[in-house]
Amino acid sequence: MASYTVNRLLQGVLVLFLISLVTFFLIDLAPGGPSSLVNMESTAAEREARLKQYGLDRPAPVRYVSWLLGAVRGDLGTSINQGLPVARLLAQRMGVTLQLATYALLLTTLFGVVLGVVAAMHHNRWPDHAVSILSTIGMSVPNFWLGIVAIILFAVTLGWLPAAGSGTVGRGFDLLDRLRHAVLPAGVLAFSLMPNVVRVTRSALLEVLASDFVRTARAKGLRQRGIVWKHTFKNALVPVISILGLVTTVLLSGSVVIESVFGWAGLGRLAIDAASGRDYPVILGVTVLVGALTVLVNLLVDLLYAVADPRIRYG
Amino acid sequence: MSKHRFPRPFLTLLLAAALALFAAASAQDHDPNAVINLATNADPTMNPWAPGAVIESNLINTILFEQLTRYSPTDLSPSPALAERWEASEDALAWTFYLRDDVLWSDGDPFDADDVAFTFNDVVKNPELGAQSANQFAAVERVEVVDQYTVRFVLNTPFSALPYYLASYAGILPAHVLSDAENPLTVASFNKQQPVSTGPYKVAEYVSGSHVRMVPNENYYGSAPKLAGIVFRIIPDTNTQVAQLLAGQLDLVGRLNPTALAGVERNPALDVMRQSQNIFYFVALNMDDERFQDVRVRQALLTAIDRQALIDALVQGYGQVATGPIAPLLAALHNPDVEQHAYDPERAKALLAEAGWTPGADGVLQKDGQPFVIDMPTASYAELTPASLLIQQFWADVGVKAELTTIEWNAYIQQVILERDYEASVAWWSMPPTPDVTPYVSCSAAHTGNNIPNYCNEELDELLAAGRRALTAEEQQDAYYALQELLAVELPYLYLWHPDIISVKRNTLQGMPEINAATAFQHSEEWYVAR
Repeated sequence: MASYTVNRLLQGVLVLFLISLVTFFLIDLAPGGPSSLVNMESTAAEREARLKQYGLDRPAPVRYVSWLLGAVRGDLGTSINQGLPVARLLAQRMGVTLQLATYALLLTTLFGVVLGVVAAMHHNRWPDHAVSILSTIGMSVPNFWLGIVAIILFAVTLGWLPAAGSGTVGRGFDLLDRLRHAVLPAGVLAFSLMPNVVRVTRSALLEVLASDFVRTARAKGLRQRGIVWKHTFKNALVPVISILGLVTTVLLSGSVVIESVFGWAGLGRLAIDAASGRDYPVILGVTVLVGALTVLVNLLVDLLYAVADPRIRYG
Repeated sequence: MSKHRFPRPFLTLLLAAALALFAAASAQDHDPNAVINLATNADPTMNPWAPGAVIESNLINTILFEQLTRYSPTDLSPSPALAERWEASEDALAWTFYLRDDVLWSDGDPFDADDVAFTFNDVVKNPELGAQSANQFAAVERVEVVDQYTVRFVLNTPFSALPYYLASYAGILPAHVLSDAENPLTVASFNKQQPVSTGPYKVAEYVSGSHVRMVPNENYYGSAPKLAGIVFRIIPDTNTQVAQLLAGQLDLVGRLNPTALAGVERNPALDVMRQSQNIFYFVALNMDDERFQDVRVRQALLTAIDRQALIDALVQGYGQVATGPIAPLLAALHNPDVEQHAYDPERAKALLAEAGWTPGADGVLQKDGQPFVIDMPTASYAELTPASLLIQQFWADVGVKAELTTIEWNAYIQQVILERDYEASVAWWSMPPTPDVTPYVSCSAAHTGNNIPNYCNEELDELLAAGRRALTAEEQQDAYYALQELLAVELPYLYLWHPDIISVKRNTLQGMPEINAATAFQHSEEWYVAR
């Protein structure tokens, strides 16, 4: 298993290199330029001075190689529009995204799995229908609308929760305050991601419930609850783990919509700001970071398969 | 019978009591512990000259970095700030500014003429730095230090609007902090963390993507600030800004879209402010295209547009039809009696016919076998796309076909504004409140500067220069009235509308000059929260 892991990690490095190569040249092809020089007010002379300062007057391959040499040494460059080291920006934003992702993942997993199991246990009866209606709503209502409605309901009308931000400004670290701020964004995120988990859990469980060994267990006279939790759940876990892996990657790359609506300074907003402002080093930094996270989560998911199902082995 | 209903001593006592009550009330008419929350749409750069420090940074920098002058809250004329008074030489080629001698930077160092000289000579006028809006000071040759508290701006051409421009996002930087930097515009510890400033509030904390927290600057030279703090929250989404305003978590939202006003107007705790700025929306016609060099064609294309209809449809009536680039806000210099080009499709058709454009078989006008088709790129930004669509309809009514392509904002700037690769396009200019429109219409700005239509007219250039030479109010009025008459006939831009800027604030937040945002933020020491 150790050699498998090492192998996968080496492949990951290659993947990251290819990601950076493609990203760099694609974004270079896009029309426009960094917003600090491509804006309405700047004149030709001002723009030329800035192009030179940023080293953008050099040909693209030269710029890529110099970025790559820096990146290998751990230097991801400096943001053109912000003037801050890219690594520092990524670290700051990753912290915020990680917080939100953790809460949202916990909620998604908890509600997704429980509702999925409930639906499967009551296949084609009213709890199944109720869960499926709820999932359909979560699936089809867009995040930004749900976010705004949640703010209007819980912050404006009821006044129970803060409307935005990840903490009260100037208060320092206060866990309760942070949690209060996280309820709405994490809740909305979880509500829209949960249906995937519900659907996969339900169908995986139904499949296993229809298999021979469950019939045998039933024939032995075991009760439904015992069958579900003891015999079938672990067998249904593999697809659930893969969907949770996907959800995790989505959450870790930052949700642009939720971060914008709730004013959280996460990775998603950094990425979108960098893309619309053509902040090349930041675009590369975010893409490579998210790429690395995806590689790691996928590896973790594959390793977890073996834990959930001993028949799966990596040699 | 006594004249007094109360004995005299009793009256005196009553008066004293009333006075005491009044004093107590006025001491407590504002809440000294109040912290107000404002919003900005992206991470600010706390250096007014840093490349790319624009709308997200301007108001924050206005609070932090005092300028030599600031706008008067009554008529936007330049009034004293770091400079107490100023005067121009007779030939209008040198301006002397007398500085306050009691100003300290937020780190305790004294402010003096060296800071002004550093800001202009080493930052703004250093071509290698590419300072933001440096081109507004193209007329400034250098700044000389006369003595510790006197500076002289030496100009290469007369520039009567200098005191106005010095009030327009032209904050003075601290020489003692930045002069050793390789590039004073990219010092991250200053721009993104702890700037050293002279304004009533200073930065206490900056969390990227989240907020900037300001506290009173105890070294401020003016009257003591009346708030315990100002927090700028970074909220990119305007709907969220409005929701937060309604939830009581923001105290002021500027530049609101009129369509978002519905929920706000009904809220008794909020005041809607309708402000004006020197902004005009326009259609630029690329003068490199022969068809547009005929003034009758330009006049026809403007006459074909119902501008009031655009204002009603796009900004719910929050705007005014523009007759030139100089907004009515500049009451003393705005000339209302110019050619109007009121909506009249028949007249537009007649003008086009005069210019040789005759109806073709498919209803599109043509000349020498060429149909009148205009390539009209637009951006998915603000009102630009819907405005372009409406204008396309108006032009179609007179037989002119506009072909619209919508591109992303950044790419649009590159293509239309920088490369001038367009035939017609809708955009806007936001200018300081001065009638000096040289950067937008002069020959020197065609093809390189902000003269997007590449319009060039020597007569116009002379009138612009006359305006820049004019030092007295009458001379200025003469020059600018004539300028506006010419601009209204010649139409280097097809003027569309001057938008109203809509801001909403909590009604307990007071002491803000209402004339416009820049002026309000230049007077932040007067803000208070009523009890």
